[in-house]
Amino acid sequence: MKATSGAAEIAASVRSGALKARAVVEAALSRIDRHNAMLGAFTEVTAERALAAADAVDAKVAEGQDPGPLAGVPFAAKNLYDIKGVVTRAGSLINRDNPPARQDATLVTRLEAAGAMLVGALNMGEYAYDFTGENVHDGPSRNPHALDRMTGGSSGGAAAAVAAGLVPLSLGSDTNGSIRVPASLCGLFGLKPTYGRLSRAHTFPFVSSLDHLGPFARSVKDLALAYDALQGFDEADPAQTKRVNEPTAARLRHPVPGLRIAVAGDYFAGPAEAQAHVQKVAGALDATKVVTLPDAQAARAAAFLITMAEGAALHLDRLRQRPDDFDPEVRDRLLAGAMLPAVWVERAQKVRRAFREKVLRLFDEVDAILAPATPMKAPLIGQKTAPFGGIELPVRQNMGIFTQPISFIGLPVAAVPVWLDGEALPLGVQVIAAPWREDICLRLAHQLETQGTCRAPVARGFADD
Amino acid sequence: MAYKPFDADALIDATAPLLQLHVAPEHRAGIKLNLKTASKMAALVEQVKLADDAEPAPVYRP
Repeated sequence: MKATSGAAEIAASVRSGALKARAVVEAALSRIDRHNAMLGAFTEVTAERALAAADAVDAKVAEGQDPGPLAGVPFAAKNLYDIKGVVTRAGSLINRDNPPARQDATLVTRLEAAGAMLVGALNMGEYAYDFTGENVHDGPSRNPHALDRMTGGSSGGAAAAVAAGLVPLSLGSDTNGSIRVPASLCGLFGLKPTYGRLSRAHTFPFVSSLDHLGPFARSVKDLALAYDALQGFDEADPAQTKRVNEPTAARLRHPVPGLRIAVAGDYFAGPAEAQAHVQKVAGALDATKVVTLPDAQAARAAAFLITMAEGAALHLDRLRQRPDDFDPEVRDRLLAGAMLPAVWVERAQKVRRAFREKVLRLFDEVDAILAPATPMKAPLIGQKTAPFGGIELPVRQNMGIFTQPISFIGLPVAAVPVWLDGEALPLGVQVIAAPWREDICLRLAHQLETQGTCRAPVARGFADD
Repeated sequence: MAYKPFDADALIDATAPLLQLHVAPEHRAGIKLNLKTASKMAALVEQVKLADDAEPAPVYRP
């Protein structure tokens, strides 16, 4: 198995008996061992567990049993997912005093049930309150396409691991953009499904009103295979909506005639660099219409306030007892969040419903909306501010200005990686659809990949491994 | 009545003791910065016109 091998390719070889799952996992563990110190992607490697899972897959193949659609595919999960026997640190120092998790996160269980093999836990911004991928306790995750640059966060390790070819699949979380921002900066496909689509059970939360989980991959087929395996109702997540599974992988190639696609204007029309990437996608999809998401700036502001307040409520006791053990930037945001007037947050929740109603009306006229995933390409690690619309603002709070209004109302999004000619770094575009239409996001992403408009290569320097 | 400028120090001094939060002197500047950002966000949120019967997003279902 090579660094560039995808999940579908690995699973096909393992299922046919041409490749042993054990050989796949050994190759993945070897790559992690050689490259992780440089990348800061993994915080825990579950080698023993992965090898046992591989042997179980190989035994099934030998016995003629179905080993699952992701047979022998190595994957890893952001370290806010529970992994039985491992302490769920959620990027923090404080949670390391907790006992090891007694069971796996539901989504980890789902991928393993499909034959995939968990190889470890991934670095992340502290308590997921981060867009940089920098972690003061574990060090930064580094962008495999430029090691002195940010991965983006908070699912930074999840993006680094896939972009460097350590694994073909990873699991992240996205409250305000934490899948789409690192997918954009690391040049990956990422899926943030509809709010309530996938179970969040047995993961460390951040903002219950806004938390989503989802996968990263280097191809849309792999992303869809993972998403299909992750679906299914789970009573352990009270926010999950009961829906039948809607598989997507087998239907990616089905043509989608007559899809009406528009570019998000106004608030989303911002920086020229980001717009150039959106226009490349819009041109490939023949999207000439422009739509305005009314009150997008207020929507982003409302998401910002809800995040501060709910995050503070979650961590209040830790803020009282151990303020000096937080990342100082996270602590100060959470302390401020504890002090917000309740009326601000209550009004923000009303704006959330009002914004939802206005945006859903747009889907009477269009099937998908394109918007940048980030305002810029990967900043340098340690860079504190950057120009946003001509004003120098904190990177940590503002990399999600275009993702935040979308997750605020829970719309499904595929982040697709775009490289302009001659450019060394990518920038992602959000392909946004109406609630529960992940199929549209993924089919359009697949079309863009097939046309060559979008691609997610393993980073140079890691690809020949 | 004209609004007074947002006073982050007053908010910190009023709420921290109520919440039993200790604000170390070296933490105050960061908290103030975040509260000022939040106040700007709240101003943006207040600009959205809402009817009296506007429902918040989360609806409890028994």
